[in-house]
Amino acid sequence: MRKLAGIVIAGIFFISMMMLFYHLPASHDLSSNEYYYRNPINGSVANESIPEHYIKYTKNETGAVNAVTAIVVEYRGFDTLGEVTVLFTAATGVSFLLSLAVRGRKREEANLILKEGSKLVLPFILLTGAYIFIHGHLTPGGGFPGGSVVASGFLLMMLAYPKFFMKDRISWFESAAGTAFVVIGLLGLVLATSFLQNFIPVGTPGQLVSAGIIPLIYIAIGFKVGSELSAIVNKMKEVQG
Amino acid sequence: MHPVLLIAIPLLVAFIIPLFKKYGPSIALGALALNTGISIALFSVVYSTGTVHEIIAGFAPPIGIFLAVDSLSALLAMIINLFALINFMAIGKASEYKFSMLYLLAVAGSTGIVITGDIFNMFVFFEITAVASYALVASRKDKKSMEGAIKYMILGSLGSIFILIGIALIYSQLKSLNIYDIASRISTMDAKIKWASVAMLLTGIGVEAEIFPLNGWVPDAYQGASGGVASLLSFGPSKAAIYAIARIMLVIFPLQKVYYLVLTIGVITLLIGELAALKQENVKRMLAYSSIGQMGLITIAIAMGMNEKNAILAIFFLMVSHASSKASLFLLSDSSGMGSAATKYTGIVSVLGIVGMPPFAGFWGKWYLLMAAINGNMLWVIVLIFFSGIVEAAYFARYLHRYYGNEESFSRLTKYSMAVLATMSLIFGLLPLIYEMGLKTLFGMGGV
Repeated sequence: MRKLAGIVIAGIFFISMMMLFYHLPASHDLSSNEYYYRNPINGSVANESIPEHYIKYTKNETGAVNAVTAIVVEYRGFDTLGEVTVLFTAATGVSFLLSLAVRGRKREEANLILKEGSKLVLPFILLTGAYIFIHGHLTPGGGFPGGSVVASGFLLMMLAYPKFFMKDRISWFESAAGTAFVVIGLLGLVLATSFLQNFIPVGTPGQLVSAGIIPLIYIAIGFKVGSELSAIVNKMKEVQG
Repeated sequence: MHPVLLIAIPLLVAFIIPLFKKYGPSIALGALALNTGISIALFSVVYSTGTVHEIIAGFAPPIGIFLAVDSLSALLAMIINLFALINFMAIGKASEYKFSMLYLLAVAGSTGIVITGDIFNMFVFFEITAVASYALVASRKDKKSMEGAIKYMILGSLGSIFILIGIALIYSQLKSLNIYDIASRISTMDAKIKWASVAMLLTGIGVEAEIFPLNGWVPDAYQGASGGVASLLSFGPSKAAIYAIARIMLVIFPLQKVYYLVLTIGVITLLIGELAALKQENVKRMLAYSSIGQMGLITIAIAMGMNEKNAILAIFFLMVSHASSKASLFLLSDSSGMGSAATKYTGIVSVLGIVGMPPFAGFWGKWYLLMAAINGNMLWVIVLIFFSGIVEAAYFARYLHRYYGNEESFSRLTKYSMAVLATMSLIFGLLPLIYEMGLKTLFGMGGV
C-alpha cells in the first residue's frame, strides 16, 4: 500500500515537472533591456546583460582567452573555492566514517598486460592531466577535469597492483593545494583590494604565462581535485580490498 | 571590516589541520575563537553604521559576487560563531582531528549562507554545510546515527537539486544571480516561471530549514547524532536555512500569494511539530519535534514580516531564543539526568527560555508576533501562539519532572558550557541590543 502511494505521488510529481519544463520559454535576445542589470550597491543600471558583459570584457579584464575559465576562476572564483571545499568535505567525511573499517579479503593479482601496461601509460596520463589544468586559461578544460584525469591514473595503478596504497603524501597534497587557494585569495585582499582579486599583471592574452592568478589557482585546483579523488578511491579500496 | 574572513579563516584552518593531526582540535578551537572575535566586531560595525557589503574578486556586483551583511545576518553570524565556540569547548577537545575539520566546515558553511548576497553562492554554502552535517550526524558510527545520516543525506541531496533548479529558472529569465539585482527586476519575470522557482527554492531550502512536509529526517538525525552535533545542527545549519528562507522570501518574492503559502506551511509545521513532541518518549526525538515546532513559529513570523515590522522583530528574537535553548538542551540530552547545580540551572533556564517566560528572548519573540497578529487583525494566530505555548509547557514540564535530580556524568567544562549557552537567551532578552538591531532597515538595499 505504501509502495503504491509512493509510486502514485512520484508519478504525479514527474508529470507536473515535465509539464513545467515543457512550458519554459525559449531563450531570448540578450540585448533587450529587460536583461539590463542593476548594481545593488549604487543602484546604477547598465545598458547590457551580464552574459554580454562577460563576452565583451573578459579578455581585457582578466587576460584569459577562455571565457568559461575566467568566469569560473575570476568572476565567480569564490563559488569555485566553495565547490573545492564541498569535494574536500566529502573526502574528509568518507575517510572519517570509514576509519573504523578493517581490511578484508585478499584480492587476486592482476594479469601481466594490465600490470606492465599501466606502468607504461601512467606517466602519460599524469602528463595529460597536468597539461589540462596548466592550460586552463587557454584551452577547454581546467582544474576539475585535469585533476580527475590525474586521479584516474592512480585508480589504474590501484587496479593493477592490489598492494598499491597512497598514504600520507596524498593528504599533504590535499592540504597544500587547498591552503594555496585560500592564501592566494587572502593575498588578493592584502595586495589588491578584495578577496581573490588578481594582484599579478595579466600579461599578453594567449600566452602560457598570462591571466594573472588564474593559472595559479587552476594548478592548485588540479592538485586538490586529483589528490581528493585519489584519496576517496584509496579509502574505498582499503575497506574492500 | 572584512566579512569574508569569517569564511576564509575556517576554510584555511580546515585545510591545514591534516598536517597537524595531533593538535587538530586545539587549532580548530583557536580558529573558532578568532572567528567569534571577528563576528562580534562585524556585529558592532553593522550596529553602528548599518549594512556592510564586501565585493569579492574586485568586480562590482552583479558581475562578481558580493557579501551583504544586514542587521539579521550580522546577528546570526555572531550567534553561530559564538555558540559554535562554546559548543566546541564542551565536546571538541577529545574528538578526532577529522571531526574538528568537519565541524569547522559546517560552521563556515552556515556563516556563508547567512552573509552572502548572491543566490548561487548561497547554494554553494548550502552544499558545504549539508555535506559536513551528514558526516557529523553519523559521527557516532553506530546503527542509529547511520540511519539518521542516510535519511538526512537522501533528503538533503534532493533538496540541493531543487535549490539548483530554482536558481537556474531565475537565471534563465533574468540572467542574474545577485539577490538584490533579481529582487529589483522580479516583476519582469514570466509569472509561471516565477511560481516554479518559488516552489523549487522553498522545497530545497525547506529540507534544511525543517519545515513541513520535508522534515522526515529531523527526528532520526537528531536522535542518532551525539548531543554536541545535534546542538550544532540546531543553532547552525537550521538557523542559516531558515534565514535563507527569510532573505529569499522577503527580498525576492514579497508577494501576496507567497505570503499565504509561507504562512500555511508555517502553521502546519508548528502544529505537527508541537503535537508530535507531546507524544515522544525519547528525549532527543522530543527536542527534535519541538525544534520543528519552533521552526514553524519562525516561518509564520517570516510570512507576517512581509506586512508587519513587529513580525520582523519576532524573527530576530525567536531565532536567538531557539538557538540558545536548544543548543543547551541537546548538550544536556546526552545524559539522562540533571544532578548538579549547573545542569539543573541549564535545564530550568533553557525550558523557561523556550516556553517564552519574560524576560527571556523567547518571550519577546512571541510578544512581537502577538503584536503583529493584533495589528493585522489575525485572531487565529493569537490562539495558535497560546495553544502551542501550552503544549510546549506541558511536554517540557514532563521532561523536567522526569530528569530533574537524576545522576549524570558530564565533565565540568561541558556543564559550564551548556549553562553559558542557556544563559544567552536571558542575556539577549535583557539587553536592548536585538530590539535596536531589529528596528534597522532589514536587508539594507531594497526589500522590506
